[in-house]
Amino acid sequence: MSVMTKDIHEQTAVPQPKQHGKPGGFLRHTNIFTGVITGLVLAIITFAIGSKIVPWGNQNVDFDQIGFQALIGVTYIAWVIGFMAGIGAFAGPIRWVLGHDLTHADAEYMAGKGQGKFRYWKYTTDHKVVGIQYLIMTLVLFGLGGFLAMLIRTELGITWAEVFTPNFYNSIIGTHGIVMIIAMIIVVAGPLGNFIMPIMIGARDMAFPRLNALSFWLLFAAVPPLVSNLLLGGIRDGWTVYEPLGSQSPVGMIGYQICIIVFAFSTGIASVNLITTALTMRARGMSWNRVPIFVIGIISAAIMGLVWFPMFQYSQILALSDRMLATSFFNPLMGGSVWLYENLFWLLGHPEVYVVVIPGTAALIELMTVFLRKPLFSYKMAIAGFAGITGISAIVWVHHMYMTGWAPSAGYPFMLSTELISIPFGFLVLVMLGTMWRGKPWTRLPMMCVYAVIWNKIIGGITGVYLSDVPVDQYMHGSMFVVAHFHFMLMGAGLFAAIGAISYWFPKMTGRMLNERIASIGFWVAFFAFQLTFMSMFVAGLQGMPRRVLQFDNAFNISNWLSTIGAYCIGIGMVIFLFAIITSWRNGKPAPANPWGAKTLEWQTSTPVPLENFPVLPVVTSDPYGYGVPDPYESVEKKMAEADQPVGAGAR
Amino acid sequence: MSMTNAPEVEQPEEPTNRPAPSYRIREWLSRPYARHFLVLFIIFTVVIMPSAWLVLHFMNQSGGPASAIMGEIEKTIFVFTFVSAPLMAMALAILLYSLLGRDWGGKVHGEEPPMQESPAIRTNGTAVILWIAATSLLAGFLVIWGMMELATITANSYGSTAPNQQPSDVKPIDINVTGAQWVWNFQYPDQQGIQSDTLVVPVNTPLYFNVTSVDVIHSFWVVELGIKIDANPGAVTNTGVTPTKLGTFNIRCAELCGMHHAYMQTKIQVVSQADYENWVRVMGGAKTS
Repeated sequence: MSVMTKDIHEQTAVPQPKQHGKPGGFLRHTNIFTGVITGLVLAIITFAIGSKIVPWGNQNVDFDQIGFQALIGVTYIAWVIGFMAGIGAFAGPIRWVLGHDLTHADAEYMAGKGQGKFRYWKYTTDHKVVGIQYLIMTLVLFGLGGFLAMLIRTELGITWAEVFTPNFYNSIIGTHGIVMIIAMIIVVAGPLGNFIMPIMIGARDMAFPRLNALSFWLLFAAVPPLVSNLLLGGIRDGWTVYEPLGSQSPVGMIGYQICIIVFAFSTGIASVNLITTALTMRARGMSWNRVPIFVIGIISAAIMGLVWFPMFQYSQILALSDRMLATSFFNPLMGGSVWLYENLFWLLGHPEVYVVVIPGTAALIELMTVFLRKPLFSYKMAIAGFAGITGISAIVWVHHMYMTGWAPSAGYPFMLSTELISIPFGFLVLVMLGTMWRGKPWTRLPMMCVYAVIWNKIIGGITGVYLSDVPVDQYMHGSMFVVAHFHFMLMGAGLFAAIGAISYWFPKMTGRMLNERIASIGFWVAFFAFQLTFMSMFVAGLQGMPRRVLQFDNAFNISNWLSTIGAYCIGIGMVIFLFAIITSWRNGKPAPANPWGAKTLEWQTSTPVPLENFPVLPVVTSDPYGYGVPDPYESVEKKMAEADQPVGAGAR
Repeated sequence: MSMTNAPEVEQPEEPTNRPAPSYRIREWLSRPYARHFLVLFIIFTVVIMPSAWLVLHFMNQSGGPASAIMGEIEKTIFVFTFVSAPLMAMALAILLYSLLGRDWGGKVHGEEPPMQESPAIRTNGTAVILWIAATSLLAGFLVIWGMMELATITANSYGSTAPNQQPSDVKPIDINVTGAQWVWNFQYPDQQGIQSDTLVVPVNTPLYFNVTSVDVIHSFWVVELGIKIDANPGAVTNTGVTPTKLGTFNIRCAELCGMHHAYMQTKIQVVSQADYENWVRVMGGAKTS
């Protein structure tokens, strides 16, 4: 992209707040450690005081004691509030209320100026720091979720015995599910949406830097309650935690509910921030015809997250209220409805799939132009595809409920809407295939991820068409076929796209080149093992194996053994990839500013990216896809048509 | 490709340089890349299509369809696999052609961005329109097929008559199915309410299930008969089927229902009418009317 630079107009004098003490003030003393300590202390105090107050022995309809439930819930809330207070999340608003608003020097301190590596452990507002924090958090969540996946496959591979107790097994499948869902939601939109997207549109930071820090640290506060469920009896109900089974689970379930409620705030804040940034902070000249397609993908995912996450959050607030206050929203014995829960859950549950898949797909579409040295094929079709998916995703949720008996005739319209969404999804496939058409790829790791993801997406897409069809779903619903299908979409198309995107932007984010030899070995091991694992899971599903079981008929043994072998190999591949990431990050080759020869703005600034991204804000004069040479065949045809008049003349 | 996106010319007498469609197609087919792509496309289509039989083979491993509903389900899966094969083949052909088209061992694999650039194809009206038309037609076909099949199996389940079938004059047998953690209970209200934990039914007689649960959500899945419906606490859901094959088939719970969800399975025995009446007598019910 040709970039013209231009002097910024001189700032007019605006009355600035007075500086009190050193820059940063209270925030100089807060970091993750003070946050954790304050959170724990407040939680312990709350538990100690609360246990003197709550009415013990007040029996819920049939299960645990209400008072104890309420106490655990309040303790978790105290942890979240204490942690956020301890890390300094409330310092800004409190100072604003007191009339000591943050000065420019304070803001620079909060952005991490002059704090070295320690800024990653603080309530730092710089979008690049938040991006790295998100990246680390995602890797940790993937590590945890992957470990739980290995436990699940161990249980299913050892077909002759119960390795875990059934309750613990049910807890690990639920925890694996929700940990992976959270990790997948943030894996591209978190690290890359925060780190890359503002630079890509030529902004100095996100629109709301303090909200940016808030969204990350809310996520951080939400994870310990979720993980602690394994110590408090587990969630025992899959990641969907359908009521009323959820209310039978022990208090560990409260950790899940608090996690979702807090995480939904985090997602909402992050979505607002991403949308506002993309809408209002683009560089001069970056009209909507020149926006990189990755930005469009992030916007559409953020819109879906913003609109639909409150549904999931609300379902968990109601379920928590059923637990802590003995209300009966979802208790059929007291006039509640189990179908209400399922509807609220899937109103997010399905758009969430697109929240996972869309940013990764957009990142791949963005990077494949660079490695094919071709312009994006049919930019407007890509935008239409994202817009169509964002719109139609709102009206497909009932396809998760075909077999619940709730409104059997709803099968007709929702089968229609579900299969309609394959049309805008097809637009994206067209864009990818069209960009690939006659291109000669530069076969680096990110490009190989494109090939891998298209393969996985084809398999996941076609099996998705089966499942969208009510008669087929009548056989497949609740079977291993469904599990294999959504792993092909979420992991095969989502995670492998994230691997491609992270290895593409790794030089810019870390300032070092990724060791592609080791990373590729890990990637291909994981890819082929993935095929083995989930192809044999398709077979188990076709044979009629229900999901979420720990023992099953001998007929399913062979496919489960293969699946377990494959899963272990995925684990090995991922560990190799992680090893490549860590070693390259610590002592990889220093990266040049633009190792790929790409034309988007983030590669035009220096590596590592300076504090406010650009010394002078860029001005954009074209879209970032000006690769390629004129098509030789096009001109040959034109010449032929012009020279050979009789051939063409008869046409019209 | 050959598509110039010129608008329609209003005055036909003015000569244009736009070639005739037949010429354009012939010209396109003469290009090497187009031929290679088409060859790959046809090979992949032929290779992928038999996977439709493979899918059926796996579904039939536990004995094959035991009801008309299961037959319809398998037919649908077969057709869907068959019609998606060309789409999958096309994507794979473009994928493989792109991989094969690179300069193996040349500069393309190196550390530096390749100097040689690819053709700058920004868009192509014909390709876009063809793609939208093809995917819309395919989606439309799948929706209409799915709705017709849904109507058929709904008619089969609920005892009404599908448009393409003979009306049945056999009175369905009502069976109350109750899921509880972690057993199925079957009650025959027509036979003086006899109860059983396995299902024994006569062949070729419509069955009508009233499904409910006493605690949490279960899902009543009769695998080889191809029916499934959730058992919800506080509500009764219905489904039905006419078994057409003698034998013993699986009933599994398809919705996580707590600790022993994995073991919540039982059998359905489809027996002859005489054996069924005998079983009812043994269980203490009246003779069927």
